[in-house]
Amino acid sequence: MMQAVILAAGEGRRVRPLTKNRPKAMIPVANRPIIEYVIDALVKNGIRDIIVVVGYRKELVTRYLNNLEIPVEVVVQNKQLGTGHALLAAEPKIRDNFIVLPGDNYIDPASIARIRDHSNAMLVKEHPSPSNFGVVILNNGHVTQIIEKPAHAPSFLVSTGIYSLTKDFFPHIRENNLTDAVSSLIASGVKIQGIPADDWQDAIYPWDLLKMNRRFLQNIPPTCDGTISRYASIHGAVQIGKGTTIGPNTVINGPVVIGNDCRIGPNCCIQPNTSIGSRVVVEPFTVIGEAIVMDDTTIGSHSRVIDTILGERCKLADHLSISTVTGLHDIEGSPTRSEFGAVLGDSVTSGPFSILKNTLVGNNVTIEGNCSLSSRQVQDNSLVI
Amino acid sequence: MCGIIGYTGKRDAAPVLVEGLKKLEYRGYDSFGIATADGAISVVKKEGRISNHAGTAGNMKGRRGIGHTRWATHGVPNDQNAHPHTDCTNRIALVHNGIIENYAELKRELIQRGHLFRSETDTEAIVHLVEEEYAKKNHLQDAVRIAVSRLRGSYALLVLASDTEEIVAARNASPLVIGIGDAETFIASDITPMLEYTERVVFLEDGDIATVTRDHVSIYQNGKEVIRPVELIDWSVEDGKKGGFAHYMLKEIFEQPQVFYNTIRGINDAPPLPDCNRIRDPVTVVACGSSYHAGLIFKYLLEECCQIPARLDYASEFRHYPSPASGLVIGITQSGETADTLMALRLAKAHNCHTLAITNVLGSTVTRLADTTLYMRAGPEISVAATKSFIAQLAVLMHIVNRFCGNNHTETLLDAHKAIEEVLLMDLSESVGLCENAQSIFYVGRGPFYPVSLEGALKMKEISYIHAEGYPAGELKHGPFALLSEKTPVIAICMPGETYDVMISNIKEMKARGSPVIAIGRAGDTDLPEICDLFIPLPGATHLTQILTATVVLQMIAYHTAEKMGRDIDRPRNLAKSVTVE
Repeated sequence: MMQAVILAAGEGRRVRPLTKNRPKAMIPVANRPIIEYVIDALVKNGIRDIIVVVGYRKELVTRYLNNLEIPVEVVVQNKQLGTGHALLAAEPKIRDNFIVLPGDNYIDPASIARIRDHSNAMLVKEHPSPSNFGVVILNNGHVTQIIEKPAHAPSFLVSTGIYSLTKDFFPHIRENNLTDAVSSLIASGVKIQGIPADDWQDAIYPWDLLKMNRRFLQNIPPTCDGTISRYASIHGAVQIGKGTTIGPNTVINGPVVIGNDCRIGPNCCIQPNTSIGSRVVVEPFTVIGEAIVMDDTTIGSHSRVIDTILGERCKLADHLSISTVTGLHDIEGSPTRSEFGAVLGDSVTSGPFSILKNTLVGNNVTIEGNCSLSSRQVQDNSLVI
Repeated sequence: MCGIIGYTGKRDAAPVLVEGLKKLEYRGYDSFGIATADGAISVVKKEGRISNHAGTAGNMKGRRGIGHTRWATHGVPNDQNAHPHTDCTNRIALVHNGIIENYAELKRELIQRGHLFRSETDTEAIVHLVEEEYAKKNHLQDAVRIAVSRLRGSYALLVLASDTEEIVAARNASPLVIGIGDAETFIASDITPMLEYTERVVFLEDGDIATVTRDHVSIYQNGKEVIRPVELIDWSVEDGKKGGFAHYMLKEIFEQPQVFYNTIRGINDAPPLPDCNRIRDPVTVVACGSSYHAGLIFKYLLEECCQIPARLDYASEFRHYPSPASGLVIGITQSGETADTLMALRLAKAHNCHTLAITNVLGSTVTRLADTTLYMRAGPEISVAATKSFIAQLAVLMHIVNRFCGNNHTETLLDAHKAIEEVLLMDLSESVGLCENAQSIFYVGRGPFYPVSLEGALKMKEISYIHAEGYPAGELKHGPFALLSEKTPVIAICMPGETYDVMISNIKEMKARGSPVIAIGRAGDTDLPEICDLFIPLPGATHLTQILTATVVLQMIAYHTAEKMGRDIDRPRNLAKSVTVE
């Protein structure tokens, strides 16, 4: 029986502020945490013996996994030292062949099917910015070298971090990094096949999640369990959860997914590629599009929320205006070009008539009314006046 | 207060019983035992917890059997006193939950007739009574019926005989549930052991005697066969598992935002409350332990928000006062089986009061006793220290307050889970560092924060074994001040409002005696961080939300303190989950 180990212990620092209160694997995209897509892909391949390594904010991850229909086993990595170290936490549970995969990257079921029946193989994929990953050199379909985050990448082929391995791999984990251990396995003479993946997605920066969101919303089946005013108009693939009410004269253009117990409208407009969590309130005359809105957030009336990620429990007053511009952000010490509206952490409150452009706002931030922020980063717990 | 389980069916009985007993351990865990029948009866019983001796029942044979996990009432916990008990001929084995009041008299009588007693328990008398009747009639159910007619007290018992396929059960004032599976039947003190096999259950009532075989159940009341409805249980097996958390308590603490929200949402389908205009008669609340603290918070809120006078009694003391002649009596019990609370509600009913039960367990005894039942949607709570059930009780009680005062707080209640979630993300390690080396900890608050302090102190002493006391802040000067020193941290809840200024002066007085003070206040407070050693800022602007968040903060401090000290958090020494004896 094939086993799978999902690594969900790391924070994902480059995705801050969204990872203050949850690891990257738990960020909801199209209303489901990324890790759930990974579990789905495994189950579709008949792999049900799943072990998840948790660490950072482990209580929240565990609580979530407990509520899944598919039972998974949880093991704890006490200190987040690296992916190899995380895999060691699962070692006692491993019998023979297993797949190891990151909990915060999307992978499609067909790619897993390709690697499932090999022992000692890895999924590889071309990526336009290979320097963020381990770059892979192949020879006759076998991996000869993995270069971790090189400044000048010799190829566009990168490691997806998804491997099919056997129990014999564990002695090679001497450093904390998984890639080093794979290199050591190659050096010992074991041949590792490099198999191309079809659809693999990693959100390196917070705004990448919007692209992922767009991708996951592509194939959603329309469903409706809520209460919809007969004066609302709904087009395209739209999912509306239990207990949600859509007020009169609200227009929703799919693909859009809305969770349970929300109150939207009247007179709102939800544009394509929008995911709205549960218990969200959208007040009248507000426009939302290309956005992820997490649970329990309230958006005031006459607002415009475009190209934006809003964390949980935000309370945003009326006439908030967010628009997309390009700008530079310092992420973990390196300047990074970006184009998005705003990314807000959890529990952000803003006063009326706030304007945000290309701005990262931390958790528990209070923005007073009439503030305008452009290409800025606001630290956690700040007060903006 | 013990857990019992019986099984008959297609599987080997011993492993089913062992797993089942592990789930019942919260009802008591000082000794355990199992009997199976396969032509002859074999018994294994041991002092200690079944979790520590899981291998002992490995080679027991038979597809029917009974098991017991004990919380000692008569006779010290040891191998002899552990159940099951067998008769002189070793044909009959019996497990029992409850207390037999006339056992001494029965025992004398039975010894005179030549029976040999091997334990100090009250239970053994029953098995010898059954033995005598079974020898006469050779019909197990009749034998049990005649034997229990001699008993005074409370019992849920299961009887297994070597030469008949049946298991006979009898219930009086202790819970018993039958689970109907596919060619197998379960019978236990509650539904947790059978959840993974079946969702179809039958709750027995007082006076019922049931005979179960692998594919048939018949229930008799006063010698006549009766039909009891089969109910479907919607708790999943996962609800009863620890699933990756270090302790059930931590799992249950983290379930609280969802539990609070579900309870508030779910209560709208509940039966309507007695008309609130008619209730100008006093409201009386009876409860024990944590439920009493929930009741005390309710009393403050009801009097403050609705101007309805409320009286609160420990259930065990209720009958020693003159009972109210009219009005509403609310009994709060998580398990629905707390003996003292049941007794108090019976008394209230006899005095013609309207009785309202708040409980977590569907079909529990209290639901059949009370006129109206409101359910808390907490799911099974395994940790002995109550956390999510307390929050769910507060949800129900706050809902009642909201109803009686004209639904002013509906929005606050629907939003409260957000604040609870935020509290769960807090880092409380500094506070834990102060508490873990303390000899005693004092918890103080005023108004509804006084019962919050009581509950915080209860959690701390239950699981960390540190001496902790909750006081109204003003009472500290009347005695406990003598105990304050650098070694006795004080946890003070100090929220904006009428009591704020006087709390600040109280805190300064305590600081002057050298005690380290941990203050819990509203986020953004600028005075508190200056006068206190540690300040814990709480989200939540309303009174109701602050009560909830302060409660959760104190739970987390208690949990992490106990964890640092390496305590057995889910099963603290000397305690059991539901107290089914008076």
